[in-house]
Amino acid sequence: MHTVLASGSNPLGHVLDKSSAFSGVFGHEVKLSVVSVIVGGVIVLAWMLFAASRIRTGPESAGHDRWVTKGRLAQLVEVLVDGLYTQMLEPVMGARLARAWLPFLLSLFFFVLVLNLMGLVPLMDIQEIAHGLGGKGETEEGKEAAKGALLWIGGTATACLSVNIALAAWAFLAIQWQSVRELGVKGTLEHLCGGAELVRNPGLWFVVPIILVVEVLGMVIKPAALAIRLFANMVGGHTLMATLMMFGAMAASLGVAAVGGISLLAGGFAVIITFLELFVAFLQAFVFMFLTAVFISQMAHHDEHHDEEHGHGEHHGSESAAAHAPGAVHGH
Amino acid sequence: MQSLLLAAEGAGNPVSFEILPAVTAFVVFGLAFGILSVFVWPKIATALDERNAKIVGEIKAAEEARAAAKGAQAEFEKSLANAREEAANMIKQARADAQRVADELKARNEQELAERVARANADIEAARKAAVAELHAQSAALALDVASKILRRQVNEQDNGRLVQESLSELASSRR
Repeated sequence: MHTVLASGSNPLGHVLDKSSAFSGVFGHEVKLSVVSVIVGGVIVLAWMLFAASRIRTGPESAGHDRWVTKGRLAQLVEVLVDGLYTQMLEPVMGARLARAWLPFLLSLFFFVLVLNLMGLVPLMDIQEIAHGLGGKGETEEGKEAAKGALLWIGGTATACLSVNIALAAWAFLAIQWQSVRELGVKGTLEHLCGGAELVRNPGLWFVVPIILVVEVLGMVIKPAALAIRLFANMVGGHTLMATLMMFGAMAASLGVAAVGGISLLAGGFAVIITFLELFVAFLQAFVFMFLTAVFISQMAHHDEHHDEEHGHGEHHGSESAAAHAPGAVHGH
Repeated sequence: MQSLLLAAEGAGNPVSFEILPAVTAFVVFGLAFGILSVFVWPKIATALDERNAKIVGEIKAAEEARAAAKGAQAEFEKSLANAREEAANMIKQARADAQRVADELKARNEQELAERVARANADIEAARKAAVAELHAQSAALALDVASKILRRQVNEQDNGRLVQESLSELASSRR
């Protein structure tokens, strides 16, 4: 209990990345974010493999049921995949590009989502409570152990900027890959220098360095903004939660009644904020994925705008509803 | 309390870059992306494609069936209207035929009745005449008989005939 109350006295201490108990095992500092990322990856794989086995069309012997997805977790994946594709990605990127990038974007979305949701599970608190009940926290040995040796898993991996930078690096690679695929290496370099027209006009070469700097900065800033946005939202939400829980501990000197009342009130707000955090977990995963999709589509803007100018509506209208499904991904 | 503070102290700078979490995240996501791209997304995409194709096919079939049903309904309604019109015409024709037959029967019956009445009247007249003649004969015989009795003598055939003729003449004149 002391541990829990104390956790409110330093909200950032509750939110920031810490050393895990694996540090002692490997002889090298292993942060909780590392463990969370690995566990999150396993969870994503298990969840998606399970969902795929449930979503796939069943044998003909199953009758009409062969078309029905069974299981809430699989249905959630189906709804998310279908909704993200038909409502978000396909309208923004166009059918061709959306289908081509769907595996990457969906992997990104579900990976970030799982890491965000894992942060809502108070694994760290459970371990701290268990440690506190064991009485180790009150001894010198316990204090030493509290420096990191007792926590095996917990925290929010996406509240670690390093993790987000790695994910943003994937987004960066995807964006640049799309650029090279659309324009070629030469075209990409020309694009960075302001376009072929500018490069071939010696009279305007003095502008090229300025544009090059701006474009290179833009290349980096776009994915960096993704990482920082995700990091800030995750840290902000969890800090707010920890701050709310801190109020009870702050009222310790006012007596038991004050502690109880304030804790109850703060706890009530914390429950509400938890629901908000649940929403934010989905929202930020979506934002990360969606902005990556937007940046990718910007690299193919000519092609897509060309489509829009020449019968985008007709293009959509002529497609059957089947074409709106994320199939034929490997056809591109 | 102290344990938490110590734990907080163990936390790093929130915005500092650390290589191990970054590399781990990069590799783990890369692996997850690779595995999902091979074993998961194609299956889900295919299933959703098949489902959409099924739904679109069913909708298309339903629309075609509805169009066919609409055509059949229109044809049926047209046939029904024709049948109704035909039935109405038949009823009208039947009524006209019935009226015509009834009129013919009525006329024939009336004619037959008139003929029968005329025949009956003739029969009655003939019967009346026969009765009158017989009455005359019997009256004559009776009168002769009475007269004979009064005269106390035998009247012969010639007297008889004369008396009858006289009586008839008197009777005829008295009737006038």
